[in-house]
Amino acid sequence: MSELRRTVLYDRHVAGGGKIVDFAGWEMPLQYAGGIVAEHLATRKRAGLFDVSHMGRFVFTGKGATRFLQHVLTNNAEALDVGQAQYTMIPNPAGGAVDDAYLYRFVEGEYLLVVNAANRQKDRDHFAEHLAGFDNVEMADKSEDVAMISLQGPLAGEILTGVIDSGTLPEPMRNELGAVVINGVEARIARTGYTGEPVCFELFIESKAAPAIWDLLIERGAEPVGLGARDTLRLEAAMPLYGHELGLDPDGRGIPIFSCPLARFAVSLSPLKGDFIGIEALTRQHEAFKRILADDYSLIADLPRRIVPVAVAGRGVARPPAKVFVGKKHVGFVTSGTAVPCWEVEGEGLAGRITDEKAMRSVCLAMLDSDLREGDRLEIEIRGRMTEAVIVPFHLRSEAPPFARAILFDHSLAVHEGPRHRGPAKARDLLEKTLENTIWRQRECINLIPSEQTASPMTRLLSVMDPAFRYAEHKPLKAFYDADVFYYQGTGFIEVVESLLEDELREFLGCEAVETRAVSGQMANAIVFSAMVDYINRADRKVQPRRLGCVMNNHIIRGGHLSSQPMGALRDFVAHDPRTERPAVVNFPVLPENPYKIDVPACRELLGRYRPELIIFGKSVVLHPEPVAEIRAFVDEMGVNTVIMYDMAHVLGLVGPNFQEPFADGADIVTGSTHKTFFGTQRGIVASNYAEADERYHLWEAVQRRTFPGSVSNHHLGTLVGLLMAAYEMNHFKDEYQPKVIANAKALAGALKRCGMDVAGDADVGYTQTHQVIVHVGYSRGPEFARRLEDNNIIVNYQAAPNEEGFTAAGSLRLGVAEMTRFGMAEGDFETVAQFIADVVINDKSVKAEVKSFRGGFTDLGFCFAGDEFDGIMEKLHGLI
Amino acid sequence: MVPAELRYTKSHEWAKMDGGTVTVGITAFAAEQLGDVVFLELPAVGESVKAETPFGVVESVKAAVDLNCPVGGEIVESNENLTGNLELLGKDPFGSAWMIKVKTAGDADFKNLMSAEEYEKFLEEEGEH
Repeated sequence: MSELRRTVLYDRHVAGGGKIVDFAGWEMPLQYAGGIVAEHLATRKRAGLFDVSHMGRFVFTGKGATRFLQHVLTNNAEALDVGQAQYTMIPNPAGGAVDDAYLYRFVEGEYLLVVNAANRQKDRDHFAEHLAGFDNVEMADKSEDVAMISLQGPLAGEILTGVIDSGTLPEPMRNELGAVVINGVEARIARTGYTGEPVCFELFIESKAAPAIWDLLIERGAEPVGLGARDTLRLEAAMPLYGHELGLDPDGRGIPIFSCPLARFAVSLSPLKGDFIGIEALTRQHEAFKRILADDYSLIADLPRRIVPVAVAGRGVARPPAKVFVGKKHVGFVTSGTAVPCWEVEGEGLAGRITDEKAMRSVCLAMLDSDLREGDRLEIEIRGRMTEAVIVPFHLRSEAPPFARAILFDHSLAVHEGPRHRGPAKARDLLEKTLENTIWRQRECINLIPSEQTASPMTRLLSVMDPAFRYAEHKPLKAFYDADVFYYQGTGFIEVVESLLEDELREFLGCEAVETRAVSGQMANAIVFSAMVDYINRADRKVQPRRLGCVMNNHIIRGGHLSSQPMGALRDFVAHDPRTERPAVVNFPVLPENPYKIDVPACRELLGRYRPELIIFGKSVVLHPEPVAEIRAFVDEMGVNTVIMYDMAHVLGLVGPNFQEPFADGADIVTGSTHKTFFGTQRGIVASNYAEADERYHLWEAVQRRTFPGSVSNHHLGTLVGLLMAAYEMNHFKDEYQPKVIANAKALAGALKRCGMDVAGDADVGYTQTHQVIVHVGYSRGPEFARRLEDNNIIVNYQAAPNEEGFTAAGSLRLGVAEMTRFGMAEGDFETVAQFIADVVINDKSVKAEVKSFRGGFTDLGFCFAGDEFDGIMEKLHGLI
Repeated sequence: MVPAELRYTKSHEWAKMDGGTVTVGITAFAAEQLGDVVFLELPAVGESVKAETPFGVVESVKAAVDLNCPVGGEIVESNENLTGNLELLGKDPFGSAWMIKVKTAGDADFKNLMSAEEYEKFLEEEGEH
């Protein structure tokens, strides 16, 4: 007994009622008084606190450290920037795991590797043996000097924020790192964990300071969790445990690393990584893995079995090493399994409420023949009896923070009931529902979605006239001195409309050329990206075109729109950085005091280092003009060969001296949707300032080609006519409309602030310089308040702030004033709107009747042409429908 | 303290004689050791059981444990209420969380069991290991 080791928090565990057991030579709490089930559930609903100081912590330093780690680990250590962590394996030459581990790069010149407690000595010996072949690398075992505490669960962020003296949490993405001061000492914090919780932190603290910080976290509401629930939580998250899913199988054979689904992210076969232990075996496993995914089992001998989540459908608990059968055939065995609890959910989707009722379910991980598939039915032998089970894709999902969501294998969504009518009754039903919806949104709701706008009666009517049913494909031919050639007859009217629209938009934007055929803002962006790829490959038409080498943009969590992200329209056009093995995107740094504003001086260094081929300004959460002129000056001065693109979707209708003149500031290309602050029908445009004599005019020609035939055949001619009317309206009324929108946004922001709401942005400029206002309503409560506002006829969208983990955890509301400004609301009216919002959000009052009656006073759309002179022709047009 | 009127096994079952029928359950110590019980399997009425052999299984999150029958005989009742209300094992192990009733031929098996006093001493000794 005396040989057992204790962590620096041992006394806390005993005092907290921990049931102490021997775990890998450590006296650790298996559970506390509440028990495993209660601790599991507390982590899933609130926040669990784990002492994981028993794990091994090695620090590698020296110039040769990266090279060494590349040799003894499977992941790509070189890919880690300072401030990032990665999951990795410690491979053996046969492609099995000596251990699995997490590699952290908190600071320059130092790597921290965390390994399993049970393998600490083995891993150290393994590394020591291989160190002999490397120069300039030192390994130090810091397991005793540094304590490690894990804080996991929906409340973890709030609890941690509450104890921080200075510094901020790492950015809200998995594997991000940072450092803060807690209780006067430095705590290094990683967004990592072993529970599947989307809000997850691991803290590294000097050992002697750990107990006081442990106490502080408990005071703030963290609940201690023992090793028992740590295991059930990781099992539910289908995370491997060495000795079960990694290492040796029950027959004593090595488990190939690629048997673990996580191997895809933990093994790098990048040529830049070079040779490493097990590379040959892992390359073979990877090849087999790829074929197996494609239902090709020709290489199955290299990866005979894979570890998959299995739900037990019958009664009983499947524990390792229970045998698994399909019919009479023995297909594998359970590697981990027990019954785990979950919270019952009432309702579906985002509106689902996590109740106080718990349920138990029997789940396991099993190592099964590689030709088995999700959904396959199995039988597990439990005490001599066969129990039904099924292969499932997962037991838990983490993509809807702040909660990890249990996924039950036999759950199905409620079926949406369609109309029960037939034939004409069905048609009448649709007409009635549309009427109802249109009256509600047009007459009874205060519409504050900043990306929406009601078009004028003329614009709307024009959009459904004859051109709505036509085609007008056309392209310029050099053979005809770039005269446009139309493919179909009967298109003379459209040719004129398109040309007039280009003229109006050129005048509005102050630029040389406009492409109007994109049917959405996202398509407009994709056209530019595709054109850039075409353009940069113009000298080399016989090889696979290369993608954009590096793109600089606004990160999606700081307001960047998905159309400019690798997850969105940029995906197929940006290269993978061979070093990081991720899309070659670098984000604008933002000001610490105002995350809605780009940190211009900090951009300079990044521009010099990355020399992006494309710089994309513009956001969907936009409170300020973008620093186009400043960045233009930097790139010109440094000679960065780049294209500056500004996606003005949100602020297109504000272009001008009241907000920003993108081309005067130095943008090369402007894109945008035409229906947010602009008056249009729902379309997209691309504009540029390249003159025909410029070399870059080739890029503009590529934009035209990638529009047609690259992106559209039919370019929705009805709304094109409507957009021309909208452009006439905009050019005619903008001097009056634009200052009103901005003044109204400031009035709404100021009034919300006076009502006691937490308004984002810079108070010195009235919180906003656009049509948007951002209000914080409390972490993860955005969806709930947005729903309550909708119940009161106020339509807004919930918005994740830059420090939140995702849109389901959104704690803000995004409001826009453009549409209601167009319906005649002025500054004083927006003060009334602010009061309505505060009544719903702060006072939990019902204001539906008041909102409906108030909106009734603003049903005539302004900033558009009207009057007797148009009545006759409008009537004739109506009559033709 | 364990109920004085019951008799006990080394695997922490208790037994209560009532005429020719023995009621069987697990002790508070066993329930506490198991932690959160998630599954219980009891024999059907009419099955026969032998002394010191398994009659069922209780599973917690942590482990599966055999339930050993203190006496031999025939199952005359199985506590169906308990299988759906496993939390009773923690709340009332010596009462409503009884598991089976066994009709036994004599009292030889029963007499072999530990008395309350002996079981408490046994628990103390176990604790020292």
